[in-house]
Amino acid sequence: MEILVLNGIVNGLIVGGIYALIGMSLTLLYGVLRIVNFAHGEFVIGGSFLAYALFSNLGLAPLFSLPVAALSFFAMGWGAYYLLLPRLQKSDDPEIMSFLMMYGVSIALAAVMLLIFEADSRSIDYSFTPISMKVGPIYVSTARIVAFGIVIVLAAALTWFLFRTLPGKALRATIMNPEAIKIVGVDVVKLSAFAFALASAIAGVTGVLVALVFPAFNPFSGAEYSIIGFIVVVLGGLGNPLGALLAGILYGLAEQLATVFLPQAMAPIVGFGILVAVILIRPTGLMGWRAQR
Amino acid sequence: MATETPVLELRAVDVAYHGDIRILQGMSMAVRPGKITGVIGPNGAGKSTALRTLYGLLKPVAGDVLVDGEVVTGMPPWRFIERGISLVPQNRSLFNELSVEDNLQLACWSFRRDKARVAEALERAYAQFPILKDRRTQYAGAMSGGQQRFLELGRALALQPRAVLLDEPTAMIAPKLAAEIYEFIHGLPKQGITVLLVDQNVRQCVRVADHVYVLELGRNKIDGSASDFTKDADLRNLIAEWVDYRIDA
Ligand SMILES: Nc1ncnc2c1ncn2[C@@H]1O[C@H](COP(=O)(O)OP(=O)(O)OP(=O)(O)O)[C@@H](O)[C@H]1O
Ligand SMILES: [Mg+2]
Repeated sequence: MEILVLNGIVNGLIVGGIYALIGMSLTLLYGVLRIVNFAHGEFVIGGSFLAYALFSNLGLAPLFSLPVAALSFFAMGWGAYYLLLPRLQKSDDPEIMSFLMMYGVSIALAAVMLLIFEADSRSIDYSFTPISMKVGPIYVSTARIVAFGIVIVLAAALTWFLFRTLPGKALRATIMNPEAIKIVGVDVVKLSAFAFALASAIAGVTGVLVALVFPAFNPFSGAEYSIIGFIVVVLGGLGNPLGALLAGILYGLAEQLATVFLPQAMAPIVGFGILVAVILIRPTGLMGWRAQR
Repeated sequence: MATETPVLELRAVDVAYHGDIRILQGMSMAVRPGKITGVIGPNGAGKSTALRTLYGLLKPVAGDVLVDGEVVTGMPPWRFIERGISLVPQNRSLFNELSVEDNLQLACWSFRRDKARVAEALERAYAQFPILKDRRTQYAGAMSGGQQRFLELGRALALQPRAVLLDEPTAMIAPKLAAEIYEFIHGLPKQGITVLLVDQNVRQCVRVADHVYVLELGRNKIDGSASDFTKDADLRNLIAEWVDYRIDA
C-alpha cells in the first residue's frame, strides 16, 4: 500500500507538472488576451504529433523535438494571432466570440490531425537507457523522469521571465490593468501577439512531453487536455500563472492518488469534484487572488 | 491674431462605446501649446470620453483627432506617447502588484533598451516626487490614494512630455494635497508642458486654466478664456446652473 501511495505521489508530480504547463500557458492567454482558448488541447497534441512525425520520419529523438516544437509553435502562434484576432476585435463581445472561434479552431485542428495521422492511437517508440530508474523503493520510467526535469526547468524559466524581466512584467501588468498598459505606451497588439506565440510555444513543448509521459495520444486527445487545462486555470485563479502552476501539480496529485484508492473509472470524476468544490468554496481560486479584471 | 497650431485637437467628433449611442456628438476642442486648457461639465457630460478620444483610447465614428495640426484619427495610444503626449486618466491606472519602480519602468517601454535614458526618467520622477523614491520597492497598490496619484503624475512626467492630459487629478484627495497638486499643475507651462485639465472643481479649474471648455451631454456648451469666466457674472451663473457649483463661492 505504501508503495502504491508513493507511486501515486511521484507520478502525480510528474503528470501534474504537465498539467501545470498547460494551465500556465492557458491562463496567460486568458489573462493577457481575454481569449478562452478551447483549442489549447489540440495545440498540445499537435506538439505530440510533431515529435511523433519527427521521430518516425527522421529518427529525431523527442528531446531534440523540443526546440523544434518551441520555435515552430511560436511562429505559428504569432501568425495565427494576426490572422484571427482582428476578426475577434470587431465583435461586440470578444470574450464569448473567442470561445466560439477557438472551439471551431479546435475542431478544425483535430480534423487536420485526423487526416494526416488517422484515428489510431500513437506513441513514440523511443526508449531511454536504462528504461526505468529506481526512485527510493519504486521504479519510474526514465522518460517520465526526464520529462519532469524539463517541466521544472520550463516552469522555473517561465516564472523567472514573468516576474523578473520587463516584458514578463508587461504581460502581468496587462493582466492587472489592461487599459493602463495602453496608457503607459505599450504597443498592446505586439505584446498580445507575443503572448499568443509564447503560449502556443509552451503548448507545443508540453505536447512533446505528453508523448514522453503518457502511453498514447490520438487526434481527439486534445479535448481532454483542454478540459484539464480549464480546471487548472480556474483552480489557480483566472489569469494567475503561479496559481496555475500550483493547481496543475495538485490536480495531477489528486488524479494519480485517486487511482490508488478508487476504481480507475472514478479518476476523472475526482478532478471535477475538486473543481466544483473550489468553485463553491473559493471562487477566486486556490491562492485566493481576486480575479483581476 | 494668428492662433498657434494646437498640440491636440478634436474636430467635430462623434464617439460611441458600444453600438450606436453616440456619447460625444460633434465635439470640438483645441489644446493650445504652452497653456492650460480646462474642461468642466456635469457628471456624464463626456469629459473623460473626450480625453480618451484625444489619446487614441477611443476611435471616433465621425470627425477627426489632430496632433500638431496633422490628422491622426485611429492612431493607437503608444504613438501619442512617442509624440510627447501623456495621459493621467480618471480611474487608477497603476499596476497594483508591481513595485513603484516597475510601474515607472513600464512607462519607459518604448525606449526600454536605452538603460541610461530609463535611469534618467526614473530619476526625474523621483526628483519630482521624493516619496516615490522611498517607496520604490513597494507594491503600487500598497500606497495611499494620494501617493498613487503622485506615482501616476510622476510616471506621466518622467518621459518629459510636451503635453499632459489630466483627468480629475485631485478627485478624492485631501484639500491640502489637492492644493499642492494644483500648484504643481499651474507650474507646468513654465517647464514648457502644455496641459489639458478635466476637473469637477470648477473654481480651481478656472483659476489655473487659460482657456475653459464647458461640456454638456456630449456637446460643447460654451468655451472662453478663463478671465471671461471669472469676470462675466452671467457666464458664472450659467455655469453654476449647469455644473451646480458657483465659481465665486
Ligand atoms: N466604458 C463605457 N461604456 C459605455 N458607456 C460609457 C463608458 N464610459 C462612459 N460611458 C458613458 O459615457 C457618458 C460620458 O461619460 P464620461 O465618463 O465621459 O463623463 P464625464 O464627463 O467624465 O463624467 P464624470 O464627471 O462623472 O467623470 C456617460 O453617459 C457614461 O455612462
Ligand atoms: Mg470623467
